[in-house]
Amino acid sequence: MDGKNLSLFKDKPIKVLLAKPGIDGHDRGVLVLAKAFRDAGMEVLYAGLLPTPEEVVDTAINEDVDVIALSLLNGAHLTVFRKISELLKKRGIDDIAVVGGGTIPDGDKPKLEKLGITGNYGPGTPLSTIVDHITARASEARSRKMQ
Amino acid sequence: MKIQDIINGILNGDRRSIARAISIVEDDEMVIEASEIIKGIYNQTGRAHVIGITGPPGIGKSTMIGRLARVLSDGNKKVSVIAVDASSPFSGGSLLGNRIRMQESLTENGIFMRSLANRGMNGGLSRSTWDAVKILDAAGNDYIIIETVGAGQADLDIVDLADTVIVVLGPGLGDEIQAIKAGIMEIGDIFIVNKMDRDGSFLAMKDIQDSLAMTPQKEWKVPVIGLDSLKGKGYDELVSEITKHGVFNTSRPNIRLDRFKKEVEMALQAEIRRQYLLEARELISKKDAIARLSEEKIDPYSAAMKILKSGKTGL
Amino acid sequence: MDGVKENYWENKLSEFREASGKKGDLVGKWRKDVLEPWNSRTKYEDREYSNSSNIKIDEIYTSEDLRNNFEDKYLGLPGSYPFTRGIYPNMYRGKLWTMRMFSGFGTPEDTNRRLKYLIEHGESGLSIAFDMPTLYGYDCDNKRADGEVGRCGVNVSSLRDMEDILSGIDLGEVSTSMTINAPAAVLTAMYIAVAKKQGVPLDRISGTVQADILKEYIAQKEWIYPPEAHLRLIRDMMVYCTKNVPKWNYISISGYHIREAGSSAAQELAFTLADGFHYVDMGIEAGLDPAEFAPRLSFFFNSSINFFEEIAKLRAARRIWATVLREKYGVRNERSLYLRFHTQTSGYTLTWQQPLNNIVRTTIEAMAAVLGGTQSLHTNSYDEAWALPSEQAVKVALRTQQIIAEETGIPDTIDPLGGSYYVEWLTDRMEEEAFKYFSEIEKMGGILQAVKTGYIQKEIAATSYRRQIRIEQGKEVMVGVNKYVENNEKPINILRISRKAQKSQISKLLSVKQERDEKKVKEALSELDNALRNPEENSMPYIISAVESYATLEEISNVGRNVFGGWKEPILV
Repeated sequence: MDGKNLSLFKDKPIKVLLAKPGIDGHDRGVLVLAKAFRDAGMEVLYAGLLPTPEEVVDTAINEDVDVIALSLLNGAHLTVFRKISELLKKRGIDDIAVVGGGTIPDGDKPKLEKLGITGNYGPGTPLSTIVDHITARASEARSRKMQ
Repeated sequence: MKIQDIINGILNGDRRSIARAISIVEDDEMVIEASEIIKGIYNQTGRAHVIGITGPPGIGKSTMIGRLARVLSDGNKKVSVIAVDASSPFSGGSLLGNRIRMQESLTENGIFMRSLANRGMNGGLSRSTWDAVKILDAAGNDYIIIETVGAGQADLDIVDLADTVIVVLGPGLGDEIQAIKAGIMEIGDIFIVNKMDRDGSFLAMKDIQDSLAMTPQKEWKVPVIGLDSLKGKGYDELVSEITKHGVFNTSRPNIRLDRFKKEVEMALQAEIRRQYLLEARELISKKDAIARLSEEKIDPYSAAMKILKSGKTGL
Repeated sequence: MDGVKENYWENKLSEFREASGKKGDLVGKWRKDVLEPWNSRTKYEDREYSNSSNIKIDEIYTSEDLRNNFEDKYLGLPGSYPFTRGIYPNMYRGKLWTMRMFSGFGTPEDTNRRLKYLIEHGESGLSIAFDMPTLYGYDCDNKRADGEVGRCGVNVSSLRDMEDILSGIDLGEVSTSMTINAPAAVLTAMYIAVAKKQGVPLDRISGTVQADILKEYIAQKEWIYPPEAHLRLIRDMMVYCTKNVPKWNYISISGYHIREAGSSAAQELAFTLADGFHYVDMGIEAGLDPAEFAPRLSFFFNSSINFFEEIAKLRAARRIWATVLREKYGVRNERSLYLRFHTQTSGYTLTWQQPLNNIVRTTIEAMAAVLGGTQSLHTNSYDEAWALPSEQAVKVALRTQQIIAEETGIPDTIDPLGGSYYVEWLTDRMEEEAFKYFSEIEKMGGILQAVKTGYIQKEIAATSYRRQIRIEQGKEVMVGVNKYVENNEKPINILRISRKAQKSQISKLLSVKQERDEKKVKEALSELDNALRNPEENSMPYIISAVESYATLEEISNVGRNVFGGWKEPILV
């Protein structure tokens, strides 16, 4: 029998890929986020430690995620997040949203947003804020997928 | 993406199309689009060798599959992997964790992998898993490896879906192995004892061989293979047995027929569900419907019959 | 070990149960006669008080909370077993703790400047932080390193960089701590090579490499090879340094990162000491005498914001280490029972919001570390949640220690909180929690098993998640974050690392490669490869040769990658 436990015809869960695309092993935050997203009903993929930008984008495409959530605490976000954004563009992907987070100075946020990377939440941001933002961007991405 | 583009993409092996198609068949709301896709690709299916992998958690299945996928693709074959993870019964969300263990092989060797959440299937394989297999089949994969949650019910379903069922066990399972064995001995076409470098692995192999000797003999001689996934030992033997079993299957035309029967059953159920449950939900959600039924003090089964009989005219 | 030591953890746990004081009479009467009437009169609303280790805290502690024969058996006096009150008889009266501020960023020249700045302003020990590529054994020109070079530490791609970092600093006069783990042996070799060039005899150089690979698998996640391979490299360092570089602390067994990853104080204590016991086992297996090598094992703890819990944790650590080494390992020499440690105040507790508040937090955490008897201390800067420390911020952090040392009178007497009913009771509780974990871990097959299967990591992730939920629900307060929140946070001046560091490092690496003798490099790497393949061989001399030939960090690390392969952690998510 096919079906879902909780509610009939529940909307297809948001699928999110959590990744730390640089050389950064500090995973306390992403592990917390992974659980929080799951508890919010999302399907969560975690890219593990030290994936390359290529692996992150490959995974995102094959898994057809709605959102890539990038986190970096080592200061290299401008370089590395840009790489991901460029790889997505190169492969013609315009229906996967990218959200950022980590130790990102305010001055860098506009640059990231120009690349389409929103959110860019820092330490102390409530989980609910992050979940809401991811949900919003996922819906946008979904609607683009439907076209 | 348009459906026709997706269909063409699948037949051309385009990953984005394949990925999108799988998302569509996962989505219960998109049954119409899903069946269009399946319709469009179905006559290109039937080529892939579907390998189902099951076994208790913690046995190193994921690492093993990553390695197996790599070895198979080294032989110039196109390989894809589907990993089924459990969903939380409370939030409906899932942590699709298996990917990481296999990550290295994938991007490097161009192996496509997809994680599917079982979305509360109580252990069985959802219809979307079956459809994902068809999509990957039509995309030209020589091998499709499915890793299941390994919790009883899924084991039975995998027998219907896969051409070759591999059961992975490990040393030191002790008493648990007896519990696991009950029911599992009959379903495996190939048995693997993983982590051969550990203590107790030889005993585990012996134990499984003895148990197999006691189960009713099939025409296929079930091998028990020891693997050391870290060192890569045993994989040649494994691949050879998989290939042999593939050949063996060609002498059993009923497999395809049985599978088709199961698929038609599932499609029927899905269609019935779609037609009736949509309506039923409407009826149940109608203002005061449940309250009124409850006042009549009838039992749920009678209530259900009443609802079904009432059809579109309302209660 | 032997028969006496079987069920060692269980026996210790029963000691706790047997030896407990009789709580009840004094406090029971007081509760009935004094407290409860007061509570009803003032309409007191009760709530649960507990700390990070989930230990319930009562409103009052008295002599009834101490174990029988407490002063003799469990408290003792400073400089004598079980060292609860301090490892040295005169503690800070004899020698203040070392003020060692973790520094490093950009190019080796930048770091050299910052080190000299701190020495000028009164820092007594050097501490070097490395960038991510260096920590993972990649050179500055590796594709993965793009954007990361010099960002959160100094970049070291070859011996030339180490020479530039230490330029103008006499290695015979300073003690240097290098926070490096996976390639610790390589950086130790570089330090040794620089000392040799300066003409400083190896038995005079003093310093520490972190090197504690077990905690990497647990918390910081900076490994290259599988656990057994790294442990072998640590063993080689242990043996080599014990013989040739006797003042070198080749391992700093760390709890700081475990705590930052989200563990409780009790977990930090237990997992760190469990790692420590494993290294002791390793040394013994390598044929060394614990009395000989134990003095060179040093520790590194976190000091977090729950003041008394931290103090109790540190006192318990000393007592546990001394007790276990004597009772379980049979080490009699008292000097070998010292638990010497460095402390860093907690980064996690510092907030992005209202950063000046962090000065207060760091001060309290520093005080806890001093009251806990630390041998050396790093205090975080107030802009921790924003960026690497600015010069102004790091100066305030250093002054914090200097004010505690010179103005407050805290170091004037040894272990001033000794005998406090609460602190002694809490020290007992922390010790008890640790023994519970030791017993669990042993049942699991030892710490290495527990780490390889992901058990420890999952415990920590679960604790961390629970805490985050409590913060979101307001059950745990972070001032400025979920209480006393301000809406118009003004930005502060922060340190910005430019890409210049990456450019200059890459061109420097190019010239190093052009100037060196390629034949020598090839030879050295090939000999290292042979040595690594033979588990009986000590790899240190070969690593030193490779480093002196100006083989790069990545080239050397790759030899290991070839021989040992990599390692993927179990699924934690």
